[in-house]
Amino acid sequence: MNNLVFENVSLKFGGITAINNVSFEVIPGRLFAIIGPNGAGKTSIFNCISGIYRPTEGQIKFGDNHLNLLRPDEIANLGIARTFQNIELFENMTVLDNILIGAHRHLDYGPISSLIFSKKVRNIEVEARKRAEDIIDFLEIEQFRYSYIMSLPYGVQKRVELGRALAMDPEILLLDEPAAGMNNEETEDIARFIIDIHEEMKKTIILVDHDMNMVMDIAQEVMVLNFGEKLAQDEPKKIVTNEKVINAYLGGGS
Amino acid sequence: MRGRPNLYINYKKETAILSTNTQKIWFVFMIVFSIAMVFIATDYWILLLTTAFLIAVASWGLNIVSGFAGQISLAHGVFVGIGTYTGAVLGGVATDYVVGYELDMIIWLPLSGLFASLLGLLIAPIAVRLKGLNLGLVTLALVFIGSHLFSNLKTFTGGAGLGRKTAKVVLFGFQFDDGFNIGNVILEKNQLLYLFSLLVCILCGLGVKNITRSKTGRAYSAIRDRDIAAEAIGINLFKFKSSAFALSSFYAGIAGSLLFTVSGGVEPGTFNLLYSITFVAIVIIGGVGTVLGPLFGALFFSLLPGTIQTVIHSLENFGQGFALSSGQIERVIFGLFIIIFLIFEPRGLWGIWFRLRNYFKAWPFSY
Ligand SMILES: Nc1ncnc2c1ncn2[C@@H]1O[C@H](COP(=O)(O)OP(=O)(O)O)[C@@H](O)[C@H]1O
Ligand SMILES: [Mg+2]
Repeated sequence: MNNLVFENVSLKFGGITAINNVSFEVIPGRLFAIIGPNGAGKTSIFNCISGIYRPTEGQIKFGDNHLNLLRPDEIANLGIARTFQNIELFENMTVLDNILIGAHRHLDYGPISSLIFSKKVRNIEVEARKRAEDIIDFLEIEQFRYSYIMSLPYGVQKRVELGRALAMDPEILLLDEPAAGMNNEETEDIARFIIDIHEEMKKTIILVDHDMNMVMDIAQEVMVLNFGEKLAQDEPKKIVTNEKVINAYLGGGS
Repeated sequence: MRGRPNLYINYKKETAILSTNTQKIWFVFMIVFSIAMVFIATDYWILLLTTAFLIAVASWGLNIVSGFAGQISLAHGVFVGIGTYTGAVLGGVATDYVVGYELDMIIWLPLSGLFASLLGLLIAPIAVRLKGLNLGLVTLALVFIGSHLFSNLKTFTGGAGLGRKTAKVVLFGFQFDDGFNIGNVILEKNQLLYLFSLLVCILCGLGVKNITRSKTGRAYSAIRDRDIAAEAIGINLFKFKSSAFALSSFYAGIAGSLLFTVSGGVEPGTFNLLYSITFVAIVIIGGVGTVLGPLFGALFFSLLPGTIQTVIHSLENFGQGFALSSGQIERVIFGLFIIIFLIFEPRGLWGIWFRLRNYFKAWPFSY
């Protein structure tokens, strides 16, 4: 089990400072939330963790691994899974295949074995399918198993993307606005899934949201960002009474 | 934990190659039918079908890298050529002008595939850096490099205009040239090549199907659809693009080494840009990214000349003359089909077959 550590991380795009000297640490088993208005730098933090962006300054560590130095696929293979704010599913594949592909890193055979499809490959595939069906059952998307992504409602797509990340069986799960664009009922479902993933599957979770309600209900620890800067980090109860946060964010009347 | 009344457990069958009985029956029927053709069809149609099987193998190769993995390659014909010449050098007869080692097919066939795939691996680093049309342009350059080398490496290829003989087809010491007796039926070289190509075609087709139902096929589709998300799942883009190019060229090499043994000779000018583009067209017409599409496309492409000849002949018997030669008609029809499929049926002949099949599945309740 590894700690995820940000040490004085900054990320600049030309004149824009997306992340400004941010430090924090997520200890294993936490349900850690990052909130802040649009453009605060939340997604940029995820992109830095997963290696899609490179920090301009500072260090990101996962246990002993320096994430700054690794490729996205190497980072994923350390057990860091994520979902995207704008769904990034594979459109020309079925729900089932999208979830199966999450298990990619656990399937131990190469292209030549694929061509021959030996008994070993068959067993690995059947085992993978079993785990995929567990996830499909958990997320209650049975009836969409063979559907192509494009034909699915937004809320279901969000679930499938969560399923794909779960299939990676990660140590830490990064969720970028999992409830964005959902109605109350769908939001409650997602919140329930997140709690189950945290409590029953024992995953460390970093949850990004710009809407405070769900986060305040389920998170153990909350970090608040504004214009790329860290305003506060505390347990939810104390965050809502933090003056800086109230001024910059809650006071804004969102 | 909650009870799990909806947990689905009957999926073992779905991972099989042929998941329904109908599929199994069709598969066996088509194989029996194809074998029977060797006794029924004329030499001309045997030739066309043999070519079709081998073109299908090469087209499957292109479909792996372009259809499945989404990496444009306009140089597929070059890898077919590499297979052809590897086979010709290892299995052909030496003359004053060209080298040849007269090895057994069991050696030159796999090595033709492997050597082509080794060279295919060399493109992979480019494919990691370039995407879409840029990659297409680089592979285009490869066609010209390939053409140049084929024309000038005379000890291997015989040189432009002259060419050389291809590999001798000798399997475990058995010469295809000698023919083969079963009872009182003699199978000639062309018939034996037909059966062997059929076997290669079936094995390669099964390989393609296997890829699609494995981790590798899923990784290819993921890279094609969204490479950044694929990476974020742990897919090593370099590794999988490399393997896609290697597999693709392997298929091309295998097909190439056999393709010209049918006629017995090959001229370097064969492997020009048009030749490479033809494979792109076959995959488009057959159905990009499908398992059976390239086979359909290859059958269509290879049997078209025969069909046109037959039509022209029967019309000429009624006193009808034609302004165009059959070769010209062939190219016009082929060109038209590419355009029609690109616009109206992106899934190609496979798409049409798929809809027909579903129609007849529901028959007579189809509306
Ligand atoms: N690839 C990029 N190029 C330029 N600017 C970017 C890029 N990605 C993010 N930004 C900028 O960085 C800031 C933070 O963006 P983001 O991390 O997406 O915020 P959030 O997820 O909190 O809404 C914004 O001002 C955004 O415009
Ligand atoms: Mg965002």
